[in-house]
Amino acid sequence: MITESMTPEERIRAAVDLDVPDRVPVVPLMGQFALRYQDVPQTEAYRNPPRALQALIDTFDALGGYDAVVGANLLWPRYSWRLSAAPTRMRFPGKGGVSEDAQIQAMEREIMTLEDYDTIINRGWNGFCEEFLPRVAGRPLEKIDALQKAILEISLGDAKAWSEHGVSVLGGSTTWSCTMILSVCRTLTQFTLDLYRRPDKVEAVMDAMVSDLIENTINDIRATDNPWVFFPLERGSGFYYPMKIFERFGFPYLKKMVDAFAAEGFTTILHFDTDWTLNLPYLKDLPKGKCICELDSTTDIFKAKEILKDHMCIMGDVPASLLSIGTTEDVVAYCEKLIDIVGKGGGFILSTGCECPIDAKFDNVKAMIDTPKNYLPAN
Amino acid sequence: MADLADALANLDEDEVRRLVREKIDAGAEPMSIVHECRKGMDIVGERYKNKDYFLSELIISGEMFKEAMAVIEPMLKAGQQSDPISKMVLATVKGDIHNIGKDIVATLLTAAGFEVYDLGIDVAPGVIVEKLSETGAPILGMSGLLTPSFESMKETVKAVEAAGLRDKVKVIVGGGIMTEMVGKYVGADAFTNDASEGVDMCRRFAREGK
Repeated sequence: MITESMTPEERIRAAVDLDVPDRVPVVPLMGQFALRYQDVPQTEAYRNPPRALQALIDTFDALGGYDAVVGANLLWPRYSWRLSAAPTRMRFPGKGGVSEDAQIQAMEREIMTLEDYDTIINRGWNGFCEEFLPRVAGRPLEKIDALQKAILEISLGDAKAWSEHGVSVLGGSTTWSCTMILSVCRTLTQFTLDLYRRPDKVEAVMDAMVSDLIENTINDIRATDNPWVFFPLERGSGFYYPMKIFERFGFPYLKKMVDAFAAEGFTTILHFDTDWTLNLPYLKDLPKGKCICELDSTTDIFKAKEILKDHMCIMGDVPASLLSIGTTEDVVAYCEKLIDIVGKGGGFILSTGCECPIDAKFDNVKAMIDTPKNYLPAN
Repeated sequence: MADLADALANLDEDEVRRLVREKIDAGAEPMSIVHECRKGMDIVGERYKNKDYFLSELIISGEMFKEAMAVIEPMLKAGQQSDPISKMVLATVKGDIHNIGKDIVATLLTAAGFEVYDLGIDVAPGVIVEKLSETGAPILGMSGLLTPSFESMKETVKAVEAAGLRDKVKVIVGGGIMTEMVGKYVGADAFTNDASEGVDMCRRFAREGK
């Protein structure tokens, strides 16, 4: 066991500041696994939030604790969906014949039309949402607002519970990029066709929405008093698009948002799903020490270290498959390799590659949590 | 007729529409137009492998191919459609509803000349085995993006074995989190997380099966 000389908050701050902490911090993205491990059906995350919170805390304790949680509960990404992100068609557990303990999944459905682009251009994102959200949700805006407020209240209460348990919550707002929102609402295929068939229109839409997204995030964080922005980036990588697309439709808006958050003193967790290796050099143009590059194991994390080592904290990326069907020895070996190479010189937070899989083996997750507490790298 | 293939390879949608219509109006054999479109898709595949094209170009060319086929197919004579290089059953497995990758692969396989039986998403092992038996397809492609899909894939491979079909069917699994370890775990013959590579693997299986 490494002798610790920092608090978890100091350790994480050191990593974000690109300093060398007393040991590598470990912050898994924990949610559905915790409920499954405690034999709590996934439906309880939405029907019985106190029971779900208890499952999260009990699992945290069973794992021996880690340095922070990303989000207070399984509801937390949704309190900002009113305006900072997009509505998504979800397949919830316990509904429509789906098992009570099934994994929640998003459905790819075209819920935004080409005509909607003009509305966004004319009314901005927030103005558009006033008509879009009721249409998609099938309920009046007042009810959506009330639900959102209720989720926010629950999440604030859960954050307080974590704080009383001595654990920091890294998540005051969940904000999507323009690309994420449009791709999810139009579908990946239609949005891709839009980028090639009507690029000027897409650009005008993004220009019309980005300032609202920034303002909404700032308002979220005022409401939660938690200066951490969780920024999922599942669409738009070099896995999908050539760099000329990213340079016009991706990076300028990402930079605008991250720069605004940094100016407010927020730290942004850039949650990169899919392979962003080709996009990594662009991240050097984001503000130094104000973001975390969080990877899901498909981006080359070692290349990320080479490129971003003096600029941005890296977080990740124990593969879901390793946690789910790998051996404990494999997990330890991979975590040690990450600590040795990506952790060299600081600026690294060990984490799951995307969320801890629902069917991960407990011993594998525990091995991941324990490794940085016990393993002192040669360097 | 190389111009149609080039237009498709260069993602020139208007030109592809115009050329398909022009060739039909000039009385060209419909199957020859299909072959030209396939040639264009092959060029797209090559450019993707050379990293000149990205997934977005595969998606766009696939949509162009589908649009052209919607015009040409009604003109094909009976029997012409059933001259595939191989049959293939494709599905996102039980418990997983991700369709994007599977749909892209289905389009690329069709463009490559496969007869694809796409069973959709959240497909149970029994349904897959039934379709393999019914069609005699020698290739099964299973897709999944979540870790619980590993167990579904493994169960499906076992069900294929139990039906006595395993030595007649090559199994390929695909998805963003596929690794060699996962391929071995589920008992597949091949794995990939690259749509174009997956098509090449299926081509190889088709050649080996002849």
